[in-house]
Amino acid sequence: MLKSNLKWAKKNVPQDLKIWKELISEVDWKDVGKRVKEDLKAARDRITDEAKTVAAMSGKERIDLLVNGEKHLGRLYRPGKIAFTRREWRGVEGTARDFAGWLKIWGVMMGMVMQDPVSIAEGLFEYRWFSSYLALPAFADRNNLGLRGPHVTMANELFLPVFRYGANTIATLLKADERLGNNQKIRKKMMLFDEMTMSQMMAGFPNLEGVPYQLMPVFLVSEIDQLVCIPYIDAVESFGLPSDTCPVPTSECGAAIIDALPHCGLGFISTSTPCDGSDMATSYQDRRFKMPTYPLTLPVRYDDEDTVECGAEDMRRCIEWVEELTGEKWDWDHYFEVIRRFNEQTNYEMRKWEVNQTPYPQVIGPAYELFRKWSYEMDGGLDPRTMKTFKRVDKMMMKAYEKKMNPYRAPIRHRAIVWSCPAHYYANFSNWLQNCWGIGVMVEMESLNFTKMLNTDDKEEAIRDLARLYERMVMRKHTNGGHVHVLEELWKQVEAFNVEIVIMYQHVCCKTMSGLQGLFDEQARERGIHLIWVEHDLMDPRTVSRRDMRSKVNNYMVNVFQEEPLDPSLVEFEDDVTW
Amino acid sequence: MKDLKHLIYFEKLLENANNTLIEKARKEGKLAVGYTCFHMPEVLLNLDNCFSVRLRAPNTGSMDIATYYMSNYTCEFCRALLERSFEGGFNFLDALAGVDACAEMNRCMENIELQKLIPNEKFFVTHADIPYKVEDFTITHYVRQIKNRVLDRLHEVYGVDISDNAIREAVKEHNEICRIITEIGELRKLPNPPITGCEYHVLNMVTYCCPKYLILDKLKKTLEEIKKRKPDPKPWYRARVALVGSEVDDLGLTKLIEDAGAFIVADRFCFGSTPGREEIILNDEEDALTQVCRHYLEVSECPRFMSNEKITQRRETADRLAREYGAEGIIFEQIKFCDFWAFERALASYIQEKEYGHPVLSLDRPYNARSSGQLRTRMQAFVESLEIKRIQKGGGGGDVKE
Repeated sequence: MLKSNLKWAKKNVPQDLKIWKELISEVDWKDVGKRVKEDLKAARDRITDEAKTVAAMSGKERIDLLVNGEKHLGRLYRPGKIAFTRREWRGVEGTARDFAGWLKIWGVMMGMVMQDPVSIAEGLFEYRWFSSYLALPAFADRNNLGLRGPHVTMANELFLPVFRYGANTIATLLKADERLGNNQKIRKKMMLFDEMTMSQMMAGFPNLEGVPYQLMPVFLVSEIDQLVCIPYIDAVESFGLPSDTCPVPTSECGAAIIDALPHCGLGFISTSTPCDGSDMATSYQDRRFKMPTYPLTLPVRYDDEDTVECGAEDMRRCIEWVEELTGEKWDWDHYFEVIRRFNEQTNYEMRKWEVNQTPYPQVIGPAYELFRKWSYEMDGGLDPRTMKTFKRVDKMMMKAYEKKMNPYRAPIRHRAIVWSCPAHYYANFSNWLQNCWGIGVMVEMESLNFTKMLNTDDKEEAIRDLARLYERMVMRKHTNGGHVHVLEELWKQVEAFNVEIVIMYQHVCCKTMSGLQGLFDEQARERGIHLIWVEHDLMDPRTVSRRDMRSKVNNYMVNVFQEEPLDPSLVEFEDDVTW
Repeated sequence: MKDLKHLIYFEKLLENANNTLIEKARKEGKLAVGYTCFHMPEVLLNLDNCFSVRLRAPNTGSMDIATYYMSNYTCEFCRALLERSFEGGFNFLDALAGVDACAEMNRCMENIELQKLIPNEKFFVTHADIPYKVEDFTITHYVRQIKNRVLDRLHEVYGVDISDNAIREAVKEHNEICRIITEIGELRKLPNPPITGCEYHVLNMVTYCCPKYLILDKLKKTLEEIKKRKPDPKPWYRARVALVGSEVDDLGLTKLIEDAGAFIVADRFCFGSTPGREEIILNDEEDALTQVCRHYLEVSECPRFMSNEKITQRRETADRLAREYGAEGIIFEQIKFCDFWAFERALASYIQEKEYGHPVLSLDRPYNARSSGQLRTRMQAFVESLEIKRIQKGGGGGDVKE
């Protein structure tokens, strides 16, 4: 292990030092000084302004500020800056809760470093994407904006297992990486699978380390830093790929081309899910990965029970392939134990939906959305610790519901649902909708996944259920298999969650959704639903910036609803490079 | 060369989706079954009193209505078909046999279905699930899907005979067409061939878009005519190319390529003859449906197949065709906004050039290429580059050796 670390250092440190030296020698220190001055002046102006605002407040307003926190969040942003000007003041209780959550996040990050400090440190220089994870606390801050009271704790509780999983996966990848840790113990049990599939199959292989290969270098990091995938996209587009393909498989291919993924793994399970682009990324990745690959391909028309056997047989063969490749045997007992846990988690998830369907929604916002996606697809009941999170959050949620609490500082004026391929995290969109306009997002499309209780006693039926689950992975459940899953399903959920607004994400490269654009429009009009189209291009903000996304809602709220924003400071601000 | 006697007749048949032969067959009580993808076995849409029509939208102009329904980010082929459906251009259809292979085409068909654009009372749209790899269990799955979603529906709604015998009969007729087209196609291997790539494209497309029994006679005569046809003493073309890629039903594109001096010797694109015009050899031991389905999966070159052997098959087929037909270069084309071919074209064109040694022109194109000056310029430049390569190899200038 250390041997390979030393080899890396020997190879890279001299040239890296040379680059750093050159970089430092090219710095215009006068300009740096000027910028520091500007920053200090801006900070002084902001503090003066805030002090004046407080001074101008009445006693009641000051008590409100002290107890409930600030109302104008736009002042946290500064043009051209990656970080907030300061942390949000959420009132004494909210800030204390937030600080506790913030400390835990740093605890998770430190825990990752301590697993193998040398490999982790080297990884920081080897992989461009890794440094973006340093923005993790900022990501949590951004996505908790406006939350108050126990909802701050709930959000942090939901983020924490996701971050813990991310940190452990990064550490595992870097420790196993041939170029860095080259840890043979880990390498010998590492099974890779595509980030765009589910992880529950690994429940039958408790001795293997299942890793969604591209998740950390591509997808999850892009949620934290929207700019990080641009070099991947540019790499593959300069190779000849048109710019109209979905940025997810495009980035995956680009990452393979520029060799941004750690070198490890016994084999790779590729997948046809969720969509055509993901299917096609396989041939690019195969050329780089150079390891045994099993294409796990699941039927698209999944409602048709006649298709289940094909999916189930593919599952069986994939399991056999893993057994042959690794020498491990499928463990039914462990599989059933995990799936029982997963079923229980599904029940907890449905309780959240039930609460959010009432006039007093509780667990809403990005933390909930991200946790749901992760727990459904990546955790899948594998980590017993996640169960504790479900239970804790459920307890807090029910308490808050009994008290009819409002999760945010600002009241919910409109109930909304988010539909189509989402871009919440890049743009902190769900929180922004609420904080700026009082549009509370009750649920998003990607949370509303498969809720069937998976079989845990009959081995044949269990495999068929596993296939059914994989066919209904996040997004694919809606965007594939016929219009009924996404078009008619939307109106069902609109009714169930009693919403008046649909935030319709128009991912400009998602052809599956684009193909139904006119029908969505027409049917929304027929039903009197406010359908607000918000264009975006996932991790490529050059096509549609976050500011442009917000302007779509701003225009609709001003011109159609003729409303005033709850927080005018959030209507127009620059965050092109902000984490 | 002297013009082919029936070429104008065949070209006229391609000017409209609803051509005179389709009208004639319908008057004779036949059922028109539309389809758009190779994954839907053409031969199975020609059972009993049915005839298959591979859908296209020739002379497409504005696509405004389809763009409203499907946005301007989707494949123009799909949008053109939807627009043509709104215009009533496919009102002759009795059924639409769709496959859920490509999301964009699936949405196109769903729009046609949900908006009830085809007024026939018994008209139905079906969507079959298509596998991504060829294994014993995926073949079983494919057979079941085609049976449940296509054949059984035809039988239930229209009383079509879907028996094993009916399938074998359809295969016979299909094979006859295939033999003629293949024989004509083989002539493109000659240094000074008696047929152009564009003429071949016309003949081949007619076989996809018209009732087969109504074109068989003229096709046979055309084959005989081509065999006896005397080419000009000096080959007309400046370079020989293979055309590989996504759907091409636009004669404007093949004309544009050949006008630039590039003879299309091999057509490895959807609506082309490879795959599509291979004979289906049936044995008596296994049911015909399974054999037909297996054939389609095995010969398919669709980039949607993601298993390694299929990826390799696609690369090797392009290389083999280029070598067998003496292509000096390969044109990889992709209809704009086609996800499958977007990824495939970028990588395959790189591999063909770097690993197989073929000069490659890689382009994405609109559905209707005829007005594209940019495409014309790129074709001309490619032909020139092939000529330069020939000179560098010592093979002479613009003249092609006979």
